[in-house]
Order: sequence, then structure tokens, then C-alpha cells
Amino acid sequence: MHELSILQSLVRSLEEVARTHRAKRVIRFRLEIGELANVVPELLEEAFEVLKAGDPLIQNAEMAYTFLSVKIRCEDCGKTSPWEQRALRCPHCGSVRVHVVQGEELRLRDVELELSEETS
Amino acid sequence: MKHLHVDVKQDLLRANDLLAQQLRENWRNRGIFVVNLLSSPGSGKTSLLERTVQALKSSYRVLVLEGDLETERDAERIRAQGVDAVQITTGGTCHLEAHMVAQVWLQVNGQTYDFVLIENVGNLVCPASYDLGEHLRVVLLSVPEGDDKPAKYPKAFRTADWMVLTKMDLLPHFTFDPERAEAEARKLRPDIHTFRTSARTGEGVEEWVKALIRARSERLER
Repeated sequence: MHELSILQSLVRSLEEVARTHRAKRVIRFRLEIGELANVVPELLEEAFEVLKAGDPLIQNAEMAYTFLSVKIRCEDCGKTSPWEQRALRCPHCGSVRVHVVQGEELRLRDVELELSEETS
Repeated sequence: MKHLHVDVKQDLLRANDLLAQQLRENWRNRGIFVVNLLSSPGSGKTSLLERTVQALKSSYRVLVLEGDLETERDAERIRAQGVDAVQITTGGTCHLEAHMVAQVWLQVNGQTYDFVLIENVGNLVCPASYDLGEHLRVVLLSVPEGDDKPAKYPKAFRTADWMVLTKMDLLPHFTFDPERAEAEARKLRPDIHTFRTSARTGEGVEEWVKALIRARSERLER
């Protein structure tokens, strides 16, 4: 259950973005969560509901996320494919010289802000 | 009412990762080799560490950092071996983070060690997400836990440089296939280096300790 700790970093990031743009509040934001990121998206959502209460900057913010499944790129045959049987092995040529090109993300993708009236 | 859409693309663990990177460089410059040990509770991390410090202490200065939710017990077991140990009690947090290690590190700073061995909180999920600045990550898997663990906890095995099978003396009593466990781990980390040990009989301990010493000199020469 490190979701709460991740959420605290998320709130700090949101505050930072809002401050940079002198925003009044966060309307919505989107996370990218990879299959190998080791977090349960539903737990993140629940934890965010708890954490946002009482913070005027984020209390009405909506959280959305994109789940990214694992994709690997083979160094030998050059093909990019989803992994099979949860193994980091190229399904085309069997090589284990592969890179994970998608599926490890745990990041704040984008944010929609409401700006203060006086901001030009 | 003005709206603004901002592309952020920021890693949520960025603060932890940046601090970990600083720690790693700082340690490397001082000739300190840092190992992060991950496993389930009760898989034998402390027992393997007792054996390890026994073997290292005559030639190397060793510090052990013990991560636990509560109690000083593990640190006391290590101190009984005659090496320095500091307990990091997380007060309920299920993993160590770089800032917890940094805080303790500041308290012991000024002393120079050759090895810092970090025993993470017993848990195969959360610790895998947090870089502590280690030079080597080791995951332990004990015979009673079963050989299917790598598939169930992919991140721990994918991010580990080495895997140590522990409690090998119990093999006759369990349906545990070491080859299968190693094959499962290699599916997630094809170049993972594996060991088979028993802290009780001493099996494989010498090989593991020699590999640690070798890894330290390779890492610090780079």
C-alpha cells in the first residue's frame, strides 16, 4: 500500500503546476499508469478522494488515468510487440535482448486548470 | 472563466529518484558499495545478513541499515555480530524511501564504510518501486514461499540485479523447483544473476559473499 505515498507526490506536483500558472484550481488531470508500475489504479482513485477533501486547489478535481500495457522492442529483429506469457522475450524471434518501451510509466500526463480572473 | 491545459509528463516518483541518484553518486565517490535487499517477510534476510557480515567484517567496514515497521530487533541481531547497524523504523510505511535512508545517512556521516547493506521492509510489492540509491538490488526468495513468486511479483524480480534462493536446506520438505524459480525470474530479468543458499548450513554463502566483494570492486573501478 504505497499508493498513499505516491498520491502525496501527485498532490505536490499538482500544486507546483497550479502555482506556476497562478491557477485558482485544478479541474481535472490524467495519469499514465503502466502495467509494471506496481500500483492499483482503483486504490489511487480512492486515496485521491480522501486526500483531496479540504484542499481548495484540488477538492473538485477529477482524476482520470490511461492504463498502458507492456510493449517490448527487440534489439535483434527490431519488432515491437506486446509481451506474451508475462515474459520479456521477443514473441517473433525468441530473443531476450528486449527493451520495455511501454508499461513502466507512473506519471502525471496533463492537467486542466482554472485560471484566476486577474491572470492575463 | 479561463481554462488552461498543461502538458506535464512528470514522473510521480521523480523526487525520490533524484535524491536516490545523488546518494548513489555520493556513496560511489567515497568508495562505499550499497546493496538493497528485498523480500517477503520471513524469507531469511536477517539470517543471510548475519552470515554475510560474519564473512565480511574481518576485511571490510560494514554498516547495516534495517528497515522495519517497528522494533529494533533486527538491528540488535546484526550488532551482536560486531558490526554497526542502524534501525530505520518506518512507523507503518510498508517500504523504505530514499529520504528515510538519507536522513539516517546524515546521522552516521563522517564514518567511512566499505559496504552498506540495506534490509528493506519485508514486502515484495512496494519496496520495488523505490530506488534508494543502491548500487546493487538483490531479491531473496525462500524455499517455503514457492517457486511461482517471480510471476506474482514481477516488479521486484524485474528490477533486481541478483536473486538469492534461501533456506535451501528445506528443499526436501517442499515442492519447490529451484530451476523453475530461476527460469521465472529470467522471464522478467533475462540477465539476473542467481544464488542458492542456506544460512543454516552455510551452503552457497561463500559464493554469495565472494560475488559481493567482486561486485564492489567492479562497481567502484568503473
